[in-house]
Amino acid sequence: MSETAGLQRIRVEDLLQRDSWDVDPRPHIRLNAEKCAGCPTKPCTRMCPAGCYVEAGGSIVFSYEGCLECGTCRVVCPMEAIEWDYPVSGRGIQYRTA
Amino acid sequence: MHMRFDVVVVGAGPAGAAAAYAAASGGLKVLLVERGRGAGSKQVYGGKVYSHYLEEALGDLKGAPIERWVGKERLSIVDDAGRTATLEYEGGSTRAFTAHLTKLAAWLVDRAASAGAVFVDEVRVDSLRRDPSGRFSGVEAGGELVEADVIIDAEGVNRLLLERAGLVERASTRDLALGVKEVVRIGEKEVEERFGLDKGEGLSWILVGGVTGGLPGGAFVYTNKDTVSLGLVLYVDAAARAIEEPVHSMIEKLRTHPALHRYWADGDVVEYAAKLTPESGYRYMPRRLVADGLMVAGDAAGMLLNLGYTFRGVDYAVYSGYMAGRAAIAARDRGGPTEENLRELYEEPLRRSRPFRDLWRLRGVERAMEGGDRYFRRYPALMGAALRSMFELGESTPSIYEALRGAAEESGISIIGALVDALMMARSI
Ligand SMILES: Cc1cc2nc3c(=O)[nH]c(=O)nc-3n(C[C@H](O)[C@H](O)[C@H](O)COP(=O)(O)OP(=O)(O)OC[C@H]3O[C@@H](n4cnc5c(N)ncnc54)[C@H](O)[C@@H]3O)c2cc1C
Ligand code: SF4
Ligand code: SF4
Repeated sequence: MSETAGLQRIRVEDLLQRDSWDVDPRPHIRLNAEKCAGCPTKPCTRMCPAGCYVEAGGSIVFSYEGCLECGTCRVVCPMEAIEWDYPVSGRGIQYRTA
Repeated sequence: MHMRFDVVVVGAGPAGAAAAYAAASGGLKVLLVERGRGAGSKQVYGGKVYSHYLEEALGDLKGAPIERWVGKERLSIVDDAGRTATLEYEGGSTRAFTAHLTKLAAWLVDRAASAGAVFVDEVRVDSLRRDPSGRFSGVEAGGELVEADVIIDAEGVNRLLLERAGLVERASTRDLALGVKEVVRIGEKEVEERFGLDKGEGLSWILVGGVTGGLPGGAFVYTNKDTVSLGLVLYVDAAARAIEEPVHSMIEKLRTHPALHRYWADGDVVEYAAKLTPESGYRYMPRRLVADGLMVAGDAAGMLLNLGYTFRGVDYAVYSGYMAGRAAIAARDRGGPTEENLRELYEEPLRRSRPFRDLWRLRGVERAMEGGDRYFRRYPALMGAALRSMFELGESTPSIYEALRGAAEESGISIIGALVDALMMARSI
């Protein structure tokens, strides 16, 4: 990486590529997307460190695959639209140096 | 399948591993359950551990995966323009080391296993079970039940199990801070050269102000052997309301910060991680730390001190976990882990302990840290303006008083107000 490349921000999709994963095909988080339409502030879109919640035309596109299992969306969601648990069987993020 | 243990510990973080180690060392039959694959695989923190309580609990740190002993401490205030004032402390005796918590937790679990605890990974506990009398009697995972005389809940900051058992409320955004972290590999020689460190010496560096865009919280930098851990901590409530760009973009802004990126330029980002932490351990503490057949330890118990410039989580977790494990032994010799016995053997001694008394004593500092704008935007601005006029001299040379007065005018902040704040803060201690 050159000096200028060092100054380039890495996109979240690429940041998540630096991690090790064993993603469970069964989602550990479920979203009641109907509630999102009526959510005025949508804090999940800014507060999820993995960018799992993306706003598209007033609704939310959610993907659990890059979830870092922090629990932030569970507490910031004002509409209780999120059913949240940890993955089972050791699946999900596999930290090595954190 | 039917299994029965003297003690079941939920969560193999620092608290759970220390609890299992203590209980197994006293001859109890202990099961330590962890949802992750292998020990440590779900662990995230900043990067520095105070050694005192670990040595007290474990006797020694033989074989511990220590990266560097911290010999240099830095505290920086950064304004929005990137102007930085830094306080550096060195030459003292070192009391803390940097480590990867993934590895430290694995080492603690090894110690517990050597003492005789049974470690099971890849098992997510779904609920704490009670018997008809209301006593906690076991844990349930994937439809299977494991019975225990006493359960030690060390599930960490997200208290799903305690919530389900009705022992704590769902946490609110005001209780929590979010940490995001990157580990950047630059090489051992570069770590020492770029940060001015002796061989094997470590740096612990806290930054506040412009690094969070003025949001309550701060940034941290810790040096490991050949990598640097850098990250942001943001108070969730304030951030959820005022953050302008996603947190993953904010940490990249930190990594590429004009005044900072030279420290890890050309490095490889090898890991990206996130985790919640209680804003104030004292406020996060459940009303009761024990119930019939149950003890709570570590982050789940609010045993964590977060002063912005100091984080005591891992060592306090080990301390409370160790006390819970010892209490399990003492309770057996006293007629069992009834609520009353556990209160006398665990909760009350913990409340009398030094760590707990410090949580109580320093709760005002934690509250001030949440004070928001003043500490994280306006005072850094005042400082930046004052130091600029003191150090960036052209035609004229201002006195300190003139520099401060000019800075107050430039940043629109009253010096008297700042002094009053400093006094209030001092009084709250
Ligand atoms: C950004 C950040 C920076 C920090 N920096 C520092 C620092 O520099 N120094 C410091 O001392 N502290 C620091 N801390 C605090 C420190 O991380 C915690 O205080 C410490 O990890 C608490 O230990 P614990 O054992 O209580 O919980 P945890 O370490 O969270 O461990 C809980 C364990 O339980 C497991 N678990 C959870 N639920 C279940 C379940 N249902 N079934 C089975 N297993 C389960 C989890 O997988 C995990 O392994 C930091 C925290 C954050 C968020
Ligand atoms: S905060 Fe909750 S309700 Fe609002 S958009 Fe996000 S998930 Fe939906
Ligand atoms: S738990 Fe954390 S990483 Fe996972 S989706 Fe929620 S906010 Fe994002």
